Amino acid sequence: MSTVDGLTAPVDVADEVASASRRRLVRRRAGGGATRSALGRKARWAGWLFALPALVMYAVFELYPIITAVQYSFFDWDGVSVATPAGLKNYTRVFTEPQLLASIIHSFILIIFFTFLPVLLALVVASIVREIKSKALGATARTMMFLPQIIPGAASAIAWTWMYSPNGAVNQMLGAVGLASLQRAWLGDFTWALPAVGIIGTWLATGLCTLLLMAGIGKIDTSLYEAASLDGANRIQQFRAITLPGLRQEIGVCITITIIAALASFDVVFMSTQGGPGYSTQVPGVQVYQLAFTENRIGQSSALAVVLSIIVLAVILPIQRFFREK
Amino acid sequence: MQFAESSSRLTRRAVLGAIGALSVAGAAACSAPGPAASSGGAAVSTPTAVSTSIGTKPVTLKLYDGQGLKAVDDALIAAFTKKYPNVTVTPTYDPDNVTTQNQPRQLASATPPDLIRVISVTAGTKNNLLTNLDAYATAYGWDQLPASQLAQFRAKSGVAGSGSLFAKASGFTMTGLYYNKKLAQQVGMTAPPASVTDLTALLSKAKAAGLTGMVVANKEGGGVFPYQLLLNTSMGPEKVSQWVFNAPGATIATGESVAAAKQVDEWSKAGYFPPAVNALDATAADALFASKKGLFFPWGNWDAANLDKTMPEQVGFIPMPPMTAGGKVAAMSDAATAFGIPSKSPNKDAAAAFLNFLSSDEARQIAVDNGFMPSGLSTQAAPTIKAGSVLNDVTKAFSTVSADAGQVPFVQNATAGISNQAWNPESQLLLAGKSTPEQFVANVQAKYEDELKR
Repeated sequence: MSTVDGLTAPVDVADEVASASRRRLVRRRAGGGATRSALGRKARWAGWLFALPALVMYAVFELYPIITAVQYSFFDWDGVSVATPAGLKNYTRVFTEPQLLASIIHSFILIIFFTFLPVLLALVVASIVREIKSKALGATARTMMFLPQIIPGAASAIAWTWMYSPNGAVNQMLGAVGLASLQRAWLGDFTWALPAVGIIGTWLATGLCTLLLMAGIGKIDTSLYEAASLDGANRIQQFRAITLPGLRQEIGVCITITIIAALASFDVVFMSTQGGPGYSTQVPGVQVYQLAFTENRIGQSSALAVVLSIIVLAVILPIQRFFREK
Repeated sequence: MQFAESSSRLTRRAVLGAIGALSVAGAAACSAPGPAASSGGAAVSTPTAVSTSIGTKPVTLKLYDGQGLKAVDDALIAAFTKKYPNVTVTPTYDPDNVTTQNQPRQLASATPPDLIRVISVTAGTKNNLLTNLDAYATAYGWDQLPASQLAQFRAKSGVAGSGSLFAKASGFTMTGLYYNKKLAQQVGMTAPPASVTDLTALLSKAKAAGLTGMVVANKEGGGVFPYQLLLNTSMGPEKVSQWVFNAPGATIATGESVAAAKQVDEWSKAGYFPPAVNALDATAADALFASKKGLFFPWGNWDAANLDKTMPEQVGFIPMPPMTAGGKVAAMSDAATAFGIPSKSPNKDAAAAFLNFLSSDEARQIAVDNGFMPSGLSTQAAPTIKAGSVLNDVTKAFSTVSADAGQVPFVQNATAGISNQAWNPESQLLLAGKSTPEQFVANVQAKYEDELKR
């Protein structure tokens, strides 16, 4: 990353997208660095002034809540009365309470559905859509793919709950193709509830990943494909040698966003299963909410939230590194 | 390699930033969150000079309740303000599932409502946030009301069930077994089953006839209903109430409780519940019962109006039969809304007049019109109910249960988190055959003790 945007937090994804494209620009006009830094020094303080409103918002609505959450996590507090210091008790409980630990494991399982499947699907779809010559058709395909993204997660979870219901669309379709033996109450099944919830995430994330990857493919020089096909490379070889390396940055962004969505998942699980049946789809996001707002255990909830944030950072930072290094 | 280098610089900076943030947090941690221990709270919350007159000066009362109670509250407000023209009541309603989260914050606010839905009497008294109503109870003569109608709203040193009064109900809920009259005839049920054994025999006949014996929806914990309906008589209303009220040493890890869970487990394994029981929510249960393939439906008064509409005159209602024939009956029955007065309310006298109004003949009719059981004395005029409505059966059952002193609070309300964190998941495990009745009871008790820090 350039020094100008040194403020950026490592996991700030929106900025990541922006700087990915900026990097290409910088690379293209190599040698422009001298003028930039001279200008930069003069405008540095003016720049801070422009950033001030945003910084204030960031401090009040991001930093302050994070700091207070860390503070609360060392207390036993019901949110109303006087808090009593709890030391590290809230943290030890996160790692000793089997249900809290299981919820963290569930969120890692969700990565398969929120990240791996969408990125794979998006790669396939994006490479196919690239070949669609008709502009209108391409635009339609893009819009269709992106539609799930504009529906709130909570709303789509409700729609999927209907589809998964014992008489819902999923079971009807299975019956129609002669797979009635596979019909089950998906969200009420101890084995299948977590994958079923995961599929909702797949459906939500695929559109976003496709759009990002299509944007990335659009930036790959088409002459590379022409040259490759002249050399006799088939589609799969072209995909491996040109598309995949060309999309390194975008895939990194996709994986980052979707892993955060998986580990910090809340809306989809909360609206579809509330963590049930039993504890089979319980995730930390829902636990944090229930601990704080149903059980009024603000300290315990904050401790789990802090642990969750650290886990997300621990997973995301190496991924960021991997996709950044050339 | 420029990227790698700047990225490591960035990481270093991020770490420094994190350390900075943590040290600020550490400094902040020196002062505990929450208010400083307040003094004089008890004096504000326990008024002694009270008046049953609300004068003639204009008074505005703020009322806070759940959206589901809007119809009954609005009717009560209209009738009350008609009687006392100088009083204006401005209600605020939150979605029902949000009231649990918002109510403690409303109650603790510096300018709380004057009339508030009381969800946990113990939580309200712990911080002196609720007004002790004993002086009003004496002044208005509420002490003459049946004891079971007020016990749930009493508390003494952090334990509900007895002691000073902190709330009064706008009406009561009632639970038991709805049944499909036609199917009941089909399986040869001529009189309500006298015991659980008789009930099981009917369930078995229903199963043989290809019917769902008991319509249970356990996606959101409806499976706790048959269990508690059994528990109420196996363990007795008093012991169950004490458990819900967090009485010291209260436990449901008892033989009677395991027996109730065993009965549910037997019914479940015999296939008397719907096969997808853990995936059905309340709406799905309604649909299943309305499909006329279900014999019994353990549920409550809140569904009566709906059943009158979808299955007019086809549904009856009975209390859950006792474990052994001839025993007393009991049911989960708590307040439609238990209204309390926050300590910081400046209009306590007017608010108390509203509480008093809740057991008037007028208010009793309003409660029944909205599907609730009326609060008040048995000597008061009985409210009228539309002929043919299943609500007639429900109120009859309520009278029977009241006469047997069998009003029991819901076990899901024992602690704030017990429903989400124990009853729902544990009942799902039980009905899926993934845990034993013993584990079911023990796990809930463990969670209960954990949350109460015992």
